[in-house]
This record gives sequence, C-alpha cells and structure tokens, in this order.
Amino acid sequence: MVTEFETKLLGAMMMIIMLGMGASLTWRDFLIAFRKPKGVLVGLLSQYLIMPFLGFALAMALGLSPGWTLGLILMACMPGGTTSNIFTYFSKGVLALSIMMTTLSTLVALVMVPALLVFYSNAAGLGSEFKIPATNVAQVLVVLLVPTIIGMVTRKLNPNVGATLELLGGVMGIAVILFLVVTWIPRNHMLLAATPWPVYFSAIGLGLFGMALGYLLARGFKQDPNRSRTIALETGIQNGPMAVLIVTLSITGAMQQDVLLIPVLYSLFIVISSSVVTVFFRRMSISESLARDQRKMGSVMNAR
Amino acid sequence: MTTSSTSPRPWQAASVAAGIPTELPHPQHSSLAALVHERCAHFAQRRPKHKAFTCVMPNGMNGSLTYGQIDALSDAFAGYLRSVLGLQAGDRVAVQMPNSLGYPVAAFGVFKAGCVLVNTNPLYTASEMVHQFNDAGVKALVIIDMFADKLPEVLAKTQVQHVVLTSISEFFPLVPRGIIRAVQKVWSRVLPSVNVPHTRLKTALALGRDTLTKTPAATLWQRISPDALAVLQYTGGTTGVSKGAMLTHSNLLHNVQQMLAMGGSFMKEDEECVLTALPLYHIFAFTANLLGFLTLGGRNILVPSPRPVQNLQRAVENYPITWITGVNTLYNGLLNEEWFVAYPPKHLKASIAGGTALHDAVAERWREVTKTPIAEGYGLTETSPVVSFNPLSGDVRLGSIGVPSPGTDVRLVLDNGQDAPTGQAGEIWVRGPQVMSGYWNNPAETALVMKDGWFATGDIGVMSADGFFTIVDRKKDMVLVSGFNVYPNEVEEVIAQMDSVLEVAVIGVPDATTGEAVRAYVVPNPEHADGIDVTQVIAHCKQQLTSYKVPKHVEVRDELPKSPVGKVLRKDLKAQVAAETTRS
Repeated sequence: MVTEFETKLLGAMMMIIMLGMGASLTWRDFLIAFRKPKGVLVGLLSQYLIMPFLGFALAMALGLSPGWTLGLILMACMPGGTTSNIFTYFSKGVLALSIMMTTLSTLVALVMVPALLVFYSNAAGLGSEFKIPATNVAQVLVVLLVPTIIGMVTRKLNPNVGATLELLGGVMGIAVILFLVVTWIPRNHMLLAATPWPVYFSAIGLGLFGMALGYLLARGFKQDPNRSRTIALETGIQNGPMAVLIVTLSITGAMQQDVLLIPVLYSLFIVISSSVVTVFFRRMSISESLARDQRKMGSVMNAR
Repeated sequence: MTTSSTSPRPWQAASVAAGIPTELPHPQHSSLAALVHERCAHFAQRRPKHKAFTCVMPNGMNGSLTYGQIDALSDAFAGYLRSVLGLQAGDRVAVQMPNSLGYPVAAFGVFKAGCVLVNTNPLYTASEMVHQFNDAGVKALVIIDMFADKLPEVLAKTQVQHVVLTSISEFFPLVPRGIIRAVQKVWSRVLPSVNVPHTRLKTALALGRDTLTKTPAATLWQRISPDALAVLQYTGGTTGVSKGAMLTHSNLLHNVQQMLAMGGSFMKEDEECVLTALPLYHIFAFTANLLGFLTLGGRNILVPSPRPVQNLQRAVENYPITWITGVNTLYNGLLNEEWFVAYPPKHLKASIAGGTALHDAVAERWREVTKTPIAEGYGLTETSPVVSFNPLSGDVRLGSIGVPSPGTDVRLVLDNGQDAPTGQAGEIWVRGPQVMSGYWNNPAETALVMKDGWFATGDIGVMSADGFFTIVDRKKDMVLVSGFNVYPNEVEEVIAQMDSVLEVAVIGVPDATTGEAVRAYVVPNPEHADGIDVTQVIAHCKQQLTSYKVPKHVEVRDELPKSPVGKVLRKDLKAQVAAETTRS
C-alpha cells in the first residue's frame, strides 16, 4: 500500500520531473526534429508499437495473474522516462535525440496511452474490475502536461531558471526511485520474497528486451550504431514513476498492491540494467571512435 | 594622426564607391582607458539597463554586466592593481582566461591602471606560460581557476608576484553560479585545488574599490600617452620565434576606427549584438568584438568554448545576434548544424571572417543560408589586426581579402626590394597607424620585419587593377590550424627531444576540418632499440604543446629530403603531399 501522503508526494515529484523535461527543450527543437521525421517515427514506433506489444506478450507467455498483467501492460504503454537522458549522456549517445524522444512520447501519450491500455486490456481478457479508466489516465497526463508547458515557457523567458529546472528534474528522476526503495521495500520485503520468478522476469525483461528490440528496429531503419544505441535506451527506459502515480490515483484497496508490484519492480531494476547496458554501450562508443581515428591514421601511414 | 600618402592607393575609387572613407578620422580618445570610461559612462547614462556583456553557457545559463557595472568594476580592478598591489604604470599584467565576464573587467582594469595587458591563451602548457611570462616580465596574473593546476610550476620559474583567480561563472546570478561550480567540481572535475597564494577576483575588486575614494581611477589613466604601450600580444610572427608584438593605445584606437569605417552602415550605435565565439585573448576578437562593439554600445554575447559547435545553440537562439565574427572553421561548423541552418539568426546583418582563408564554398553557402553578406578580411597580430577588408556592400569577390582599410598603405614588394607591377605577386608590406612599434625586447626580430616604417608581413599577395588584394601563399612554412599559427620549428624541437627520434620535419597539410593540419615526419634513431612508436610521439607532444600544435599525423621515414648543405627541405615534403592529393 501507498499512503495518501506518499501519493501526493509522488505527484509533486512527478510535477518537478515534468517541469524539468519541459525546460530541457525549446519549441524550435521540436520543429527541427520534424524536419527529419524518420528519427521521430522510429522513436514513436519503438515506444508505442514494440513496447506495449512486448508487455502484452510477456504477460501472456508467462501466464501472469490479471493484476500483474495490468501492471505490466500499463508499464509497457508508458512514455519514455527522463532518466534515459542521463544514461544516454553517460553512454556517449546522442543526447538531443534522447531528450526529443522522451518529450515527444510524453506529449503523444495523452492519446496513445489510454487507447493502448484499453486495447491490450481487452486483448488480455481482463475483467472490468482490472481496468484503469481511459479518462483517468488522460486526466493524469493532462495534469502532467501543464508543468511540461510551464517548463518550456520558463526556458524561453528565463534561460537561467529553465536550465536550473532541467537539472532539478533530472535529479528528481533518481530521487523518486530512491524514495521508492526507502519507503516501499522495507514494508514489502515479505511480499518480495513471496513473489514468483515470472513476475521478476517480466519486470526485468520488459526493459532489457525493449532495449534489444529498439536497437534492432533502429538499425533496420538505417540509423547509425550510436543513434541506435540511444534509441535502444530510450525504448527500454519507461517512465516508471508515472505508472506508479497512475495506479495509486486510479486503484485503491488490496488490488492496488497487486497492480503496483510490476511498475515498482520495473522502476527499481531498470536503474540496474540501464547502468550495466550503459557501461557496455559506452565501451562500444569509445572503441568505435578509436577505430575511426585508427583508420584515418592508417591511411596516412600507408600514403607514401 | 593621418598618414601622408606618398604611396599610390589604387583602391581609393573602390572604397569610395562602397562608402568607405579614404582618410581616417583622428580617434576621439587619447587612450583605451579613456575610450572604455567615456563609452561606458555614456551608455550607462543613456540606457542604464542595457547589457554590455553576456556570457552564455551551453545549457543557456548566463550572466551579464551592464555598461555601468563594467565601468565601476574595471575602476575597482585598476585600483587594486595600482593601490593595493603597488604596480606601476607600464607594468605587465597577464590575463589568461576563456571568454567570460571576468575578461572585460580584468582587461579594462589593466588599461585603466596604465599597465600593459599580456593576453595569454588559457590552454597553454606550463612551459609555454613560463616562456611568455618571463619574456614579458609579467608581475601579476589573472587566471581562470580551471587551469590553475599549472601555477606551482609556473610561479617557481617566473617573476609573477600576484595571482588573481577568476571563474567561468564569475558575476553570474547566485543559483546558476552555484550550480555551475558544483557541476565543475563534482561532475566534470575540472576545478583543481589551488595551493599557491592567490586572491579571488571578487576580493580583489572589493579591496580595489576601497582605494578609489583616495585615488580615483581617472587619476591613474588620465596622463597615459597615446603612444604608450597597451598590449603585448604574443605571436610567432613570420619567423616562428614566440615574441610580443607591442601594440600601443594609438594602434588599437586607430584600428577600432578602421574596423568601424569598414563596417559602415552595417554597424550602428546602440543596435548591435555580436556573437563572440572566438577567444578574446586572440587579437581578432579583442579588437573587433571587445573594443569595436563596446565603442558602438553593442552587446557582446560571450561563449566560453565554441567546441562542439552545438555549444553556440542557446547563445544564437536566445539573443538577437546582429553580427558574427569568426574563422572559416566556425562558419563551416555552423553550416553543418541542423539547428543553425533551419533557423539562422534572423536579426543578423553581416559577418566577418579572418584568421585564415575563408573557403569560397563556405562563403557562398553562408550567404545562401543567412541571406546576409560575409566579408573576408586580412590582418595580423602586428597590425592590431585589421589591414584590409572586403566592402560589405557591392559585388562579392570570392577569395579576395578586399581593399586596405582607411589610412592604410599596402605595397607588394619583390625580393629585390622593388614594387611588383600590377597583377604580379609580391610580399605584402603594410604601413599605417595600426602597425605595431616593434617586438618587445627583440630588436633583431623587429629589424627583420620593420623596414622604413613599413611592416613586411611575409605573406605573398597580388593586387587587381582596382586595388583588391588576394593572398597567393601564406608565409613559407607556417601552419594555420583553425586560424591558429603553428610554427614547425617549435613542434620539431619538441619531437626532437625524444631519444627514439633521429630527425624530424614538420609541415602543414590540407585538412577538411581545420584548414591545415600538422604532420610530422620522423626518422628513427638506430641507436634506440625499440624503434619509434607513433602514439608515443603524439603523447609526448601533448605533454609539451597546446593541443592545436600537436601533429595530427605522424609518419615514420627512413630519411628526409635535404638540401646540399644538409637543411631539411620542408618544401619537398609539401610537394609530395600535393602530388599524393592530386593522385587520389
């Protein structure tokens, strides 16, 4: 269970995250992104085609209970998380692409998330008690879009405040997960011990398989390896805190605990798996740039 | 001062047609200190809130100083130098920092103190700093904290007595300043601990301000003569030995006038906002951006580091840029940025390029993308720097460096000392009020270039019938990497220190990104068992040289081409490279 106070705190933290996300971009950045719609298209495809289907497929294959299934599908339908930007930065990926994908998928979420949630809940044959009303999701998203827009306007009016908000939002993205670790795990360690392996598998697998599929899709669309790695991180890293917030606002009682389990586990494990993948990606990035230098040097050495 | 025109000026008709005055009006101020004070007071009174300088970080964080603040802060710094540190008029003060708000405060403070500014590249290695500070006899140093790790070594080997420390976020609002410092310290770890005696700029300014009631700043500079030394600007010049070009107040005041005359109707008082991506310690941005646009009451948008070019995005988006000064590399870089090409600055009036040849393709594309003129100019450290300029209005002459600025005489001189006939190449000689008085403490080098009041540039040019000049060839061997001079001698000396190297020759080769790149040819020392490791040569150079001087390519050879007396023939190596390029 998550208390009333914690839900409010989570909501406030989410607002700051979205404020920071808005402040990370200018309106002009959007217009520039749409000049080359292919990158945007790949991002949206991986976010709203691959991920929701992956969540649905995992739930079906592993035969998860209705509560867990709903949590997993909700998690899979979420837009990109702002922490992906931090991991992209460390993996020497294309930061501008990451920020753009996160923001765009969040804006599109207003339409896509309620629609996809209804579609896959029905496909999974979930009973009416295991449904999150589409209007509920849309309301949460609209409320979260307000700070996003405020962030963008602030950036325009005062770049100093804008850049500060951007940093604050990034820090808050980590803070929310720490908050979950500190408040939720100690009260639920019994539950964690009793949770069967398919739940862990799906919570961890959603992120890892998502990254792998995102990478393949990007390569298929002829994106270079570095852009593809950025898209991979972006695809696998979902906005976990947003899913937790939607669940706490939409479902009450004993069922909340059930639905909440996978979003919380996902949020905890994605930090670990993203860190591991980031180290790996970083090495690839560095060795690729070294190889480029080597080729240049080599051509000079041979030029006699 | 007006130059008596004994030399013909075939460009006069072209200048007049472009609306450029042929004679230069006498500068209104007697010194740079007077210029700074009068202009600041004037604009501060008329537009108190108008910003003179704004420093913009890559994420958009920024800080600004108004004209009034610049005047007051530079007064305080002058007071600190003279009344607190006890420096005398004419003492040398080195200023070593990237573009940031501390720069104008420190540089103008030095002028108001009647001291001599020694512009120093912040990326210099300790040995480069030691050489420059000892040569100039620097007594006080204003340095950015990021590069203070070299201080213990430098201070031990020089006469520098006072160190003032500034930071990139100096004069920023509290919160951004705190964040930038925290990021520098914890995240990027670029702030070394400083364990030599030093004073923070803020403290120095507070101490200096207290002295002004007793000794007002004006008393420090009112008697500076126009012919007094203002700046020691270090350059390898045409011979490659690093030496200080002595630029007087009069030299720089005249060159500001010359630049403004060439800008003509494209530069208007109160209207300009200039993107300063080039470093202010370089003579081009120093005269054009710092002094020129200050004279106009413009706003300088200072960018600490234009690399990667992406760093310029927020500066270009957030401010109504009307002018850009740059080198070919910068313009080419901007044209390769999607955000720039999609939304070129809409208030832009014109751009000027210098430092190195502006490629025709870049110039044409720039006009196409920004729909504004870009003009290539020509200048040298020794000429403060502007010598010639393409008129902004009128026909575009690709590849030309334009016509000499008002009050400037230019001759093309053949090896026999005669003037080259029209259309024939000769060495460019310059005479005018902007030509330096010589090299600091170096009569031998001075004598090589100063001839009867003319400065021999070492560059070879031709002149068209209507007086437009074109550079045919740069001085023989100098390598121009992104507009920075690299002198093969210096690089060769460093590589030659290695035990594994028998002989070395360094030349410049064409490079797609930096214009020219440094290439070293090394012959292994047969006494040395392990042979030569190319990566070790580069690592050794990185230790001893600023990065732009480090060879981009190192090639191992069995021998080097030589003249009968045993002099390594760089021109033969260059010819081989040229042959390779044509073959491929």
